[in-house]
Amino acid sequence: MKNSSFLIDLTKCTGCRSCQVACKQWNELPAERTVNTGSYQNPLLLSSQTWTLIKFDEFEKQGKMHWLFTKIGCMHCEQPACVSICPVGALQKTESGAVIYNKNVCIGCRYCMIACPFHIPTFEWKKAFPFIKKCTFCFDRLAEGQKPACVCACPTGAITFGTRNDMINKAHGLINKRSNTYNPHLYGEKEVGGTAVMVLAPRDVAFSDLGFPKLSERPLPTWTWNALKFVPSQIVLVSAAMAFFYWLTKRKMKKKDADKEVQHDA
Amino acid sequence: MTNHWIDFKNADCILVMGSNPASNHPVAFKWIQKALENGAKLICVDPRFTQTAAKADIYAPLRSGTDIAFLGGMIKYIVDNNLYFEEYVRDYTNASFLVNPGFKMPGDNEGVFSGLTGTKTKEGFVSGTYDKASWSFQMNADGTVKNDPTMQDPNCVLQLLGKHFSRYTPEKVEQITGTPKDKLLEIYKTYGATGKAGKAGTELYAMGWTQHTVGVQNIRSMAIIQLLLGNMGIAGGGVNAMRGESNVQGSTDHGLLFHILPGYLQTPAAALPTLAAYNEKNTPQTKELQSANWWANKPKYMASLLRAFYDQGLPLEDAYALMPKIDDGVNYSWLTIFDKMYKGQFSGFFAWGQNPACSGANANKVRQSLTKLKWMVNVNLFANETGDFWQGPGMKPEEIDTEVFMLPCAASMEKEGSISNSGRWMQWRYKAVDSPGEAMPDGEIISALYHEVRRLYETEGGAYPDPILKLTWNYGKHFDSHAVAKEINGYFLEDREIKGVLYKKGTLVPSFAFLQDDGSTSSGNWLYCNSYTEDGNKAARRGTEDPSGIGLFPDWAWAWPVNRRIIYNRASVDKNGAPWAPNKPVIQWNATKKAWSGDVPDGGWPPLADTEKGMKPFIMKTAGVAHIFGPGLVDGPFPEHYEPLECPIDKNLMSPQMVNPAVKRWETDGVPELDLRASCDPRFPFVCSTYRVSEHWQTGVMTRWTPWLLEMQPEMFVEMSHELAQLKEIQNGERVTVTSARGEVEAVAIVTLRIKPLTIDGGTIHQVGIPWHYGWRYPDPKFKELRSANLLTPNIGDPNTMIPESKAFMVNVVKKEVKR
Repeated sequence: MKNSSFLIDLTKCTGCRSCQVACKQWNELPAERTVNTGSYQNPLLLSSQTWTLIKFDEFEKQGKMHWLFTKIGCMHCEQPACVSICPVGALQKTESGAVIYNKNVCIGCRYCMIACPFHIPTFEWKKAFPFIKKCTFCFDRLAEGQKPACVCACPTGAITFGTRNDMINKAHGLINKRSNTYNPHLYGEKEVGGTAVMVLAPRDVAFSDLGFPKLSERPLPTWTWNALKFVPSQIVLVSAAMAFFYWLTKRKMKKKDADKEVQHDA
Repeated sequence: MTNHWIDFKNADCILVMGSNPASNHPVAFKWIQKALENGAKLICVDPRFTQTAAKADIYAPLRSGTDIAFLGGMIKYIVDNNLYFEEYVRDYTNASFLVNPGFKMPGDNEGVFSGLTGTKTKEGFVSGTYDKASWSFQMNADGTVKNDPTMQDPNCVLQLLGKHFSRYTPEKVEQITGTPKDKLLEIYKTYGATGKAGKAGTELYAMGWTQHTVGVQNIRSMAIIQLLLGNMGIAGGGVNAMRGESNVQGSTDHGLLFHILPGYLQTPAAALPTLAAYNEKNTPQTKELQSANWWANKPKYMASLLRAFYDQGLPLEDAYALMPKIDDGVNYSWLTIFDKMYKGQFSGFFAWGQNPACSGANANKVRQSLTKLKWMVNVNLFANETGDFWQGPGMKPEEIDTEVFMLPCAASMEKEGSISNSGRWMQWRYKAVDSPGEAMPDGEIISALYHEVRRLYETEGGAYPDPILKLTWNYGKHFDSHAVAKEINGYFLEDREIKGVLYKKGTLVPSFAFLQDDGSTSSGNWLYCNSYTEDGNKAARRGTEDPSGIGLFPDWAWAWPVNRRIIYNRASVDKNGAPWAPNKPVIQWNATKKAWSGDVPDGGWPPLADTEKGMKPFIMKTAGVAHIFGPGLVDGPFPEHYEPLECPIDKNLMSPQMVNPAVKRWETDGVPELDLRASCDPRFPFVCSTYRVSEHWQTGVMTRWTPWLLEMQPEMFVEMSHELAQLKEIQNGERVTVTSARGEVEAVAIVTLRIKPLTIDGGTIHQVGIPWHYGWRYPDPKFKELRSANLLTPNIGDPNTMIPESKAFMVNVVKKEVKR
């Protein structure tokens, strides 16, 4: 399928964490040895062994109790900052929508970790030859005509998968049909130029309450492009300028030496 | 469940109380979501704001153990505001029946019903047994019940119901439950709206209702509400128990509990020495018109069951004589077993697919009982606290003489067979992989045991070999799930002609309508007769067509009885067979074809309006109508609020009787410390409840050993409010000790906004909650940490079922310094 997307409907997520386990199972990721830190959330953060997890947030807002379950993981941006910043092109946005990573090319510079506005890529800190790890969009399952593992595991249909247009239409359909249930904004439709993972939230909850950063619609690579686009011309111009000054200075010095010699002779 | 999982999508209002389906039955939420998408409202009532509450339209807190007060208030609201479905109540329930004037109710009888013989306990309340003679109806000369169709007579059930629950005012309910009055009224109004014809309300419950000394009466309260509102037998209605184990429905269906035989037949009592006496005592008779009184067929089912055990070589009376009998007045339930085991009255014990050292209430008593055994057989997938009890915390192995055998067994995907879900669907499963090592399926282990016991009886004799030696065991040397499934369905043991059709000896019986009382048919469980017939294994069907549109899926697997998906569905239509809800019909009468369409009708007779052949809808009740007045239980025909045995207040605000008077209490002679209770005791000031999380299952014997699950919920925790944490100077994530009169556990504190202190009778009560999935055996067995919730729970149970009161007991919580 080309240009596919996830739609994560947080009004349907009950925090069962089937997705968290399905991801571990499909990718054969080991479990981490954890302790209870005073929350159901475990592990607390994404890591090289945990590529998606459910974040648990509880708060009271306008006299109403909220306990929210948010799936976090790579947003598979349409114009990824990590792809743009990677000096060796280890990260790529594919036709299917997946942002995939090739460890054979990676040099371990971790610029992608700095560039990602969602703070997703994780690193194998404890290994001698460490690589970057993150959600793969189940790129390997898509190649076999199957849907991602988390989509298949979700019991309530909170995670669905289809073409980007279909998911956008579906989301807006839900927002219109059940305006009392949904926050009218579809996160990821436009943020940073759009992300393949889009999220719907409950009506009286803001995306910022759930930890989704407030981002402009401007794709992040365009920021660096503003500076980067001048580089070739700068290289040419600065090189030319420096060559000119070199010629000028050499000529001046040649003239100076010639004058000295004339004086000497006289 | 009277209905089934998919049916939830048909509800207009879903009340979740006594359960937490979002956490513990996640797939159910798919269907609840569908109902919500169609505009249904979800109401969640729970001591904590759970994962279900997070999805609910209305959430209300509740003090654990006060559900009857809450529901009683709803009954009062429904009656006072005339929200009940009058035609349904008059024609389909016993609301119009006249009760004996000698019947007295708690409002003017010291908090108890008439007929109680009891003594005052040292805690100050009366405890005893009820003589139910006064819980009876006034009779006509012809043997039918006197009734008043106008339902105005002060002795009629509806009026008595109103009088009894008139004491459950919103103010009183708020004082008892801690639920704010405005929330009570909001919920009563929203749910009460389903009393209109065409509207459906469903209730989802689980252990939150059953694990109380008033457990059965909790459910009775809801049954009364559902009957008043006309919600029984319809799509999106019902009283729906969400079973806590994938096949516990199967286990109760097939009679694994002591008081029933397969198919919910009574276990024979010693006072009934012959089959004739058994049938006489247990088969109900009725003179009521248009009552099918289906249990009148009991002799057919009992005879067929006996034939499944003992074939025609043995006369039926002789077969009955070989059946074990319950001694009169003796209770054989779980709590009794461990009490007697503690007293040294058991030499051996099969802990079969269970972990009593963690799952039994008052687990310290259970663990001590195990030390008295000569031998134990632990049949399980993994090592657990029961098989390894002798090296548990506080145990001295050198002083324990128990020989423990571990028999590793197969997991569910390593064997073929069926599982019956909460919706009564028998679904066939296949073997996916071989078991590791020496692990064997349970059926294979039982088969091997049988053959060896038989051989020993044959060669060595014994006290009474006949019950085993005379058994019909047609399964061969090895366990064969298909052979057993067919036996459960049943066979014709001789040629029989029924309604002009000849059924040959050795063929499978088509349904229980064909079972005979003369020993010519066999059936291992009359309810499942129709599941495996000459047409094949119906439990294995996977048809996905749903012509009804209401999610019946009649060709997917098979449901008992006779593939009926919604039971009591004759109550979903009026006297003429027209559905109350034409847009969601369960069954419908076609007058031209003179036949029903839709689900399998709960009796194929014409509608009630046909005075000659029509039948009333509640066919398993003697009078054909449902019980609003329910004299069948041991603790009262109407529910009444009583406090849990351990409670935070020193008086019952509803009546002078503190605790359910029919509760059976344990006194361990000479060892008082094992059956300790502490009510209204300053040492244990907080109400505690137990519950589950999505990530673990039961005592965690399988899930603690699964790394991906343990990662998500690694250790025992206790959830408490910020207010309580501040009171005890406890930080979120800090290790604490939770203690009760019976034991202590260590846990991590989860300090949360989702639990709030409640105002009960003017005072502040705190509640805490703990999961019961943990035990010392894994992970980190060498630390021998006390982690099992049941070390705290009381071994006191509901008087009807003996289910322990694990949902409301008193504890203390203190900070702990722990070196790990």
